Amino acid sequence: MKKNKKMMVVFLAPALIMFAIVYVYPVIRTILMSFFSVERPSAAMSTWSFNGLANYQKIFSANLFQNAMMNIFRIWFIGGIAVMALSLLMAVILTSGVRFKSFFRAMIYMPNVISAVALAAMWIYYAFDQRFGLFHNFFKALGLDGLARIKWLGGDMKFWAMLIAFCFAAVGYYMLIWISGIEKIPQDLFEAATIDGANKFRQFTHITLPLLKGTFKMNLTFWSINSVAFFVWTKMFSPVTTESSTVVPMTYMYDIVFGSKSVRVTDAGAGAAVGCVLALVVMIVFFIMNRLVKDDDLEY
Amino acid sequence: MAFGRKKEKEKKVREPFNLKKEAKLLPGYLVLVLWLIFTFVLIGWIFAASLSTSKEIFKGEVLKFASGFHWENYITAWTLQNVSTYFLNSLLYATVSCVFLIFICAPAAYVLGRFTFLGNKPIKSGFVMAMSIPQIMIILPLLNITTSLHLTGTRFLLIFLYIAINIPYTTTFLINFFSTLSRSYEEAAAIDGCSPIKTFWKIMFPLAQPGIVTVTIFNFLAVWNEYFMSLVFASTDSKRSVGVGLFTIIAAMKQNGDYGALFAAVVIVFLPTFLLYIFLSEKIIAGVTGGGVKG
Repeated sequence: MKKNKKMMVVFLAPALIMFAIVYVYPVIRTILMSFFSVERPSAAMSTWSFNGLANYQKIFSANLFQNAMMNIFRIWFIGGIAVMALSLLMAVILTSGVRFKSFFRAMIYMPNVISAVALAAMWIYYAFDQRFGLFHNFFKALGLDGLARIKWLGGDMKFWAMLIAFCFAAVGYYMLIWISGIEKIPQDLFEAATIDGANKFRQFTHITLPLLKGTFKMNLTFWSINSVAFFVWTKMFSPVTTESSTVVPMTYMYDIVFGSKSVRVTDAGAGAAVGCVLALVVMIVFFIMNRLVKDDDLEY
Repeated sequence: MAFGRKKEKEKKVREPFNLKKEAKLLPGYLVLVLWLIFTFVLIGWIFAASLSTSKEIFKGEVLKFASGFHWENYITAWTLQNVSTYFLNSLLYATVSCVFLIFICAPAAYVLGRFTFLGNKPIKSGFVMAMSIPQIMIILPLLNITTSLHLTGTRFLLIFLYIAINIPYTTTFLINFFSTLSRSYEEAAAIDGCSPIKTFWKIMFPLAQPGIVTVTIFNFLAVWNEYFMSLVFASTDSKRSVGVGLFTIIAAMKQNGDYGALFAAVVIVFLPTFLLYIFLSEKIIAGVTGGGVKG
């Protein structure tokens, strides 16, 4: 096919220009900004003053930021184990030959299309409620008064309540990716294993799991990206003030850039440093993941 | 039920009911049904509560509807609490940005997917990287640009941002889709003397329709449910989208204790995407795993 330069330029230009305005330039400027003392995001570049790593020192010595990093790690690690295990379990069940597969699959994925604000509202104002909540009534009906009295939205429980609600909504998405990975495994492998006398469980641990390595890596990549963007759920669970039990880097950054009850003097430079730290962490996670889980491009 | 309808290509005819086989699957069914019941209770209760009075909600008697259905909760939420404004804003943002995204990204994806040229690979990997960087890496400079251009808090700005931030995902998705289309169409068109630009709009663009529809559904959902950008860049209530709007409403309703209207607002916000999903679930599910994945 003959190349048509004019067409290529015209077709690419709008997308590339917008991409440059919204991604390329801001990323470079944010990285620069993290090394300068900048009070407000709208401050002109000429008013910035270089202060080396002071922004990074400032955020790392702030208790709230340490809490935020700890929380995001717990969300990524503990939530990650729960979501990966549950979504894999659902995927295995759905590919085991159950009836109404597409109906179940659609229902489990459904929370992913609903606004996170609406979803969080359902959990906070219904499921976790102390007076008429779902868990409260459920445990009371079972006679488990101890469990019925749990204050889901108080103190340290709040973090776990938030994590449960977040994970419930996430399972469906990762399940779909697991399913597509499982369905790519050729059936004759299982047939051969059955003939050789391997039971279902051994087939799962010796065929399915090893062949899902690539899918696992993909899921882990998306999970990492999604955990870093954790924000709405914190806002919903702690709507008024930022609390150490639910704070995540994005809420911390929002507070120091735009100010809040606890932050009187805004500091956009430190906010930029938070962004850079997060981006760096994501990059390190991706790097380690690529090292640990090798892409062995399997051809079936 | 729309979910269960299987017009897809399941080659196997449904097996006759086999008790032994089904009994083996019983634990699996149990897990699925429990999960399903929980989802139904969670959402069903919200519906019921949105039609009840606050008093009934507090007593835990939403399913009795002792005082009838309180549709006025919806009227309260829609008119008094500005839900109509947020709803129409979100509708505007989502539809306009979806249309622009297609006309910006489809041509770009076509060029990136079909032609090899210097810079093709870096652009593609740039898009993939953009999907994985945290949004807080970009909002500070964007705030600077928008305040110096006096654009903060305008609908134009939000639409522009929604288009721009979704360009990497949409383009990547469509690159994958175009690569599945055969080159023979373009070759035939070239032999008949059709110019490349015309070939694209008259032949390739219509052929890409299934991919375009799928990516548009995802973009619509993404913009409708978006929270952070709307929070930062829509400085007044009248420009906010449903996500931030609902957040404000919930805070207000909690103050005056009108839980019925609170749940009605929740239903109004999630109903559009929920209905969309009931009709399009097969397409959405195929899109998650089929072409490119949402970052």
